Amino acid sequence: MSADSQDHHEDHDHVLPFWKKYIFSTDHKTIGIQYGLSAGAFLLFGFFLMIVMRWSIAYPHEPIPGYLSWIFTDGWKARWLDDGMVTGETYNMFGAMHGTIMVFLGVVPLGFAAFGNYVTPLQIGAPDMAFPKLNMASYWAYLAGGLIMCMSFFMESGAAKSGWTNYSPLAGYADRQIVNQFLAGQTQWLIGLVLLITSSLLGSVNFVTTIIQLRAKGLTWMRLPFFVWAMLVTGFLLLLAFPPLEAAGIMQLMDRVTGSSFFMPSGLFSKEDGVLDISGSGSPLLFQHLFWFLGHPEVYVLLLPAIACVAEIIPCNTRKPLWGYKPMVWSIVALGFLSFVVWAHHMYLTGMGPVISTFFQTTTILISVPSVILLTSMIISLWGGSIRFTMPMIWAAAFLPMFGIGGLTGLPLAFNLADLHLHDTYYVIGHFHYVVAPGILFGLFAGVYHWYPKMTGRFMDNFLGHLHFWPSLICMNLLFFPMLTQGMAGFHRRWYNGGEGYIEKGTEGINVFGQTVAENISLNEVMTGAAIGLAIFQLPFLINMVVSYFWGKKITSDNPWDATTLEWATPTPPGHGNFTFDPAIYRGPYEYSRPDHDKDFFPQWEEPKRSIPAEEPSEKPDKETTEA
Amino acid sequence: MAGSIEEVKKAKKLFMFIGLLLFFFTIVTVMVASVEWLDFGGHGFDAVDATIGLAIATFKASLVMLIFMHLNHERPLIYLFFGLGLLMAFFCMWLIGWSKSDPIQFGNPNSSDGFYNPDKPSTESHH
Amino acid sequence: MEIPFIVNARKDTGLFNSKVGIWLFLASEVTLFGGLFSGYLFLRLYADYPWPERALPVLPGLINTFVLIGSSVTVVFAWAALKMREWRKFQIYMAITLLCAALFMVLKGIEYNAKFHHQAVQIEGPGPVQGKGIIEGHVHYAEIKDGKLTEVKDKDRYHDEGVFPANRILIKASELTFVLKRPTHEAYVKEILKQAGDDYKITLAKDYRVPDEDELHEGGKNRVQLLASGKALVADAGSELSIDLLEEMEDSFLEARSHDKDIRTDFLAASWDWIRDEKGDDDLSTYVVEKDIWKERRKEDAKKFGPLMLSAPGEVTFKVDPPLILVMKPGDIPQFSKEQVKFRDDTVVKGEVLPSPIIMGVDAIDFRHTAMRAEAEGIEPMKAIEVSWILTHTDSHGGNDLKKAWNCHMAWLKYQTERLEKEGRVPSDNDKYRVNWDEMVAYQKLDLDPEAVYKAAGEDALYHSSLFDLKGFAGANHNEFDFPHVEIPRENVGFESTLTPKWNTYYAIYFTITGLHGLHVIGGALVLGYYLFFGRKMYDSNPEWLANRVEVGGLFWHFVDLVWIFLFPILYLM
Repeated sequence: MSADSQDHHEDHDHVLPFWKKYIFSTDHKTIGIQYGLSAGAFLLFGFFLMIVMRWSIAYPHEPIPGYLSWIFTDGWKARWLDDGMVTGETYNMFGAMHGTIMVFLGVVPLGFAAFGNYVTPLQIGAPDMAFPKLNMASYWAYLAGGLIMCMSFFMESGAAKSGWTNYSPLAGYADRQIVNQFLAGQTQWLIGLVLLITSSLLGSVNFVTTIIQLRAKGLTWMRLPFFVWAMLVTGFLLLLAFPPLEAAGIMQLMDRVTGSSFFMPSGLFSKEDGVLDISGSGSPLLFQHLFWFLGHPEVYVLLLPAIACVAEIIPCNTRKPLWGYKPMVWSIVALGFLSFVVWAHHMYLTGMGPVISTFFQTTTILISVPSVILLTSMIISLWGGSIRFTMPMIWAAAFLPMFGIGGLTGLPLAFNLADLHLHDTYYVIGHFHYVVAPGILFGLFAGVYHWYPKMTGRFMDNFLGHLHFWPSLICMNLLFFPMLTQGMAGFHRRWYNGGEGYIEKGTEGINVFGQTVAENISLNEVMTGAAIGLAIFQLPFLINMVVSYFWGKKITSDNPWDATTLEWATPTPPGHGNFTFDPAIYRGPYEYSRPDHDKDFFPQWEEPKRSIPAEEPSEKPDKETTEA
Repeated sequence: MAGSIEEVKKAKKLFMFIGLLLFFFTIVTVMVASVEWLDFGGHGFDAVDATIGLAIATFKASLVMLIFMHLNHERPLIYLFFGLGLLMAFFCMWLIGWSKSDPIQFGNPNSSDGFYNPDKPSTESHH
Repeated sequence: MEIPFIVNARKDTGLFNSKVGIWLFLASEVTLFGGLFSGYLFLRLYADYPWPERALPVLPGLINTFVLIGSSVTVVFAWAALKMREWRKFQIYMAITLLCAALFMVLKGIEYNAKFHHQAVQIEGPGPVQGKGIIEGHVHYAEIKDGKLTEVKDKDRYHDEGVFPANRILIKASELTFVLKRPTHEAYVKEILKQAGDDYKITLAKDYRVPDEDELHEGGKNRVQLLASGKALVADAGSELSIDLLEEMEDSFLEARSHDKDIRTDFLAASWDWIRDEKGDDDLSTYVVEKDIWKERRKEDAKKFGPLMLSAPGEVTFKVDPPLILVMKPGDIPQFSKEQVKFRDDTVVKGEVLPSPIIMGVDAIDFRHTAMRAEAEGIEPMKAIEVSWILTHTDSHGGNDLKKAWNCHMAWLKYQTERLEKEGRVPSDNDKYRVNWDEMVAYQKLDLDPEAVYKAAGEDALYHSSLFDLKGFAGANHNEFDFPHVEIPRENVGFESTLTPKWNTYYAIYFTITGLHGLHVIGGALVLGYYLFFGRKMYDSNPEWLANRVEVGGLFWHFVDLVWIFLFPILYLM
């Protein structure tokens, strides 16, 4: 490739200055770790907001305790708390930002950007991402967007407070009292969002290009690890679903800054301002459509990286191939495609007619088919395996039933008839938190424990791992299962005081709803306790991350798990440019326990030693992937 | 893709021709909108004008895509990417449009079928 | 380390990296504009007002279409030149492309600017339907003379000090009240101080006093005594308004508020400890607060912490002497009554709201909304139009030029109807209910005489703005033509705005899509400009590499052209 030698990327053989190596790095591994650490910090912050909210739900008349309130300044408390108690306004603000942070700043960057960045190029045998500088720009746009959103907590207006979905007209109207709209939290949210979308677009272009262009010799489509397939599909989801939300974000920004009425209907009235000084004729529903056009694919953007991690960890720790690799690949492609046409199931209650509701109901049920194929394949993969219960495997194993609960509780919500009752209740909250928290986050924890040795050269501590895992598993279930119960009892998802206003006090009352609220309201305390417990038991993990980096058990080979995929062929940790040899691929990704091979794993990059001449690795896509 | 010098030379003539064609159809669009004897459908702007205008625009856009953006002979992957983009944009427009145009109907307005109808407050069902 | 396939294509895909990248990016651009076009479609199909069809002057858009198509041709030529290794030609074609981009943006700027200066007013007043008609035109300028709003006739004086557009609201302010919890009133204070100049005194109405925190807790005096002491004084009555002063009071207020809340929080927390630990009450906090024992305890708490509160006043009032006439933009005042207005940040101005008419030269009257509403309610549209303020008011000269212009329009409409009837067609709503600027010019030229208009229309001698009429390049030209003058009393002003996104959803989507498209033009030009000015090094090292880059940049450029090909008919012709 003589022409490519003109490549003017810096020659990285010499030592880079600190800021270039660790801060403004173009190395996909450094960027991946940057993403991971930033996302982790955002996750903790989002979790903290949630604990304050849960306090308010369980103890609406008690000031938030010192161990939560020490972080706030006196001025902040005076502005946003009512004698130390959480106000409805503050609760809304925290709720909106909890959702935003967890989805846009936490889980997506952790799953897609951190793991994707670190692992994908290694697994396909690439020296780096296809566009390293774009990769860096992507990270910094993400960080800037996230910080801008979070900084608004310190403004007079406070941060955004209209839900993470930011529905107009509420979101178009909130913070109107701020004269300079650019200094309003609600506006900052939109500016932050536009930056985050920019970051995602840069990232997804990069991922897809890298996967398509930089695969190693012989790494044909059906030899790609499932992880890479998941990243490819995720990349496409972000690429095509985010722009309509960017359009919506810009339109809402116009509504706020220029006073336009994209999403503001005619005749809007507020107590403070009377009939608003706007032209009207806009459509709040339009915003919802454009939001959920992203919003639903975004669910799969959250989910696929976690499934991807689990799908790597299971074969490695059961020492047998991933069951149904090909159906899984086709499922994930189908899932990605279908996820674009299901979005309005979030909007059954907006007055859509029966025909279109039926359409979206049908597509929603359809999409459960590939989801079930994925999960079932992974469960069957366990069958007959000689399972090593390593730390990653324990997390991955817990992912399966937890995600199962999350997925199955979604089915009633897919039917518009059942959704009439369950919409906007805690049932919905319980459902998607089961998907995201004990589901996706467990999958990602599994990933951390799995790839940590590759990143640092040391294992994470097992004892601390168990101390992290078991209490987390218990607390997660104590936290989220009661939500399903409460939801069916009619608890609305936005009650900042846990529903106390709805309690029917007499036992003979005719207010059945008030009685079910009274019967289930004490669960609030259980859930709040579980949330605090969950927070405490993340400490072992944080300690583990740091302690193991310095004192963890050292790995003895570059492939400590005896895995088959290409990332384990690199030095540990991989240097700039990743590989010390020109990787070539000879077989599929999960060749474990082959009877014709002496070891119980047969890495993709290992040249066959048998007398039969190996199939020449070729660059041509090869549908028939099984080795001769 | 025009690779060799001869091909590029030949392509330049084509580019020029396409450019002129685009100019021409732009003028046609404006004339359809402004000249009375080219005003199809009713007098003034109506659906017919919109259809003609968008049809010409689509034709022009196809020329740009096929010739300037070389989509007349491109690699399959490119068609896949761009096609997916177009398809998703179509879903976005189509489904949003459909969901708005499918109203909830309150029973049969001509007969009392027992369904709730806000325009016809029922007097019987309460007794 | 080097990334493979930067210049040469990968064998199985047949593509180099950046080409894959740009096409992916374009696919996402398709869905971006797909989202915007969805918005357009949705807003247009379900608008509850008549969509402004063909509302923009066509010529600038048409020229811009030519410009972009032309640049699309030159950018492929530039690429072809690189392929043939003709550096000089590449430079020329690329330079033309960039000039086209610049020209496009200049024309865009002219269009935008015209809209920013074009006022539109929805009229309030009598009439059986909700829409009372719309007046469009240019706002004239005014000043305050003898305490009254007076129009400035001399155009040269428009930019003098004290002269302002005649669409502002005038308040004779005698008292200003600021809310201290908002640190955001700086903008308004600055504006008020600027308008007050040196001739008006704006002074604090009474002392702003906050008891000293330390003395309160240790001095053993009660609050009344403390307030009287010198340490409590934050600002004297009679202090002049300044941002510094306000900030000082704000700080005292916020500090006092923190102090008070802190103490109240401690008491509340202590009571919870008491009822949980000492009383052993493990009920839900919701149930606990219902109990008498809890209510008693809280009453006692209030008695205890009451004396400990600093209770700084949250509002401060300033007197204005003599009363100052404030000229404010309507957008800053969400609500006003005769005696007071409230700014967006809750600052209250007491005084008298003076007559604040909008004075403008009218270049269009539009009753389409009225007609649409009338038809929906089963009323004859012309009946609803006739009683509109636009046609029934009398101006300061005792006449009504707009009524006369409308009569001329009716005469023209009669002719137009007759003419179209012969072809079996009917006039459009635009014909019927809207008097456009070129008609207005034509009627003015015929002294607003309906009979003359009917005759002239028959002889086809009416002035009609043609596509290539440069006088109306960006719309009604108020320098070139005279337009009827109107003073709209504030009570007859409904919604008003310049033709910006605020005016209606059409202008909102117009500015948003074309603005975003403009950003794409600028972005594309920057990238192509980079290749033109800094591409030589790359060209010398490997010309094919630069050709690839230009091809990729060109693809983006064509896409920008592609979007415009749709935008032009959709926004200008439909």
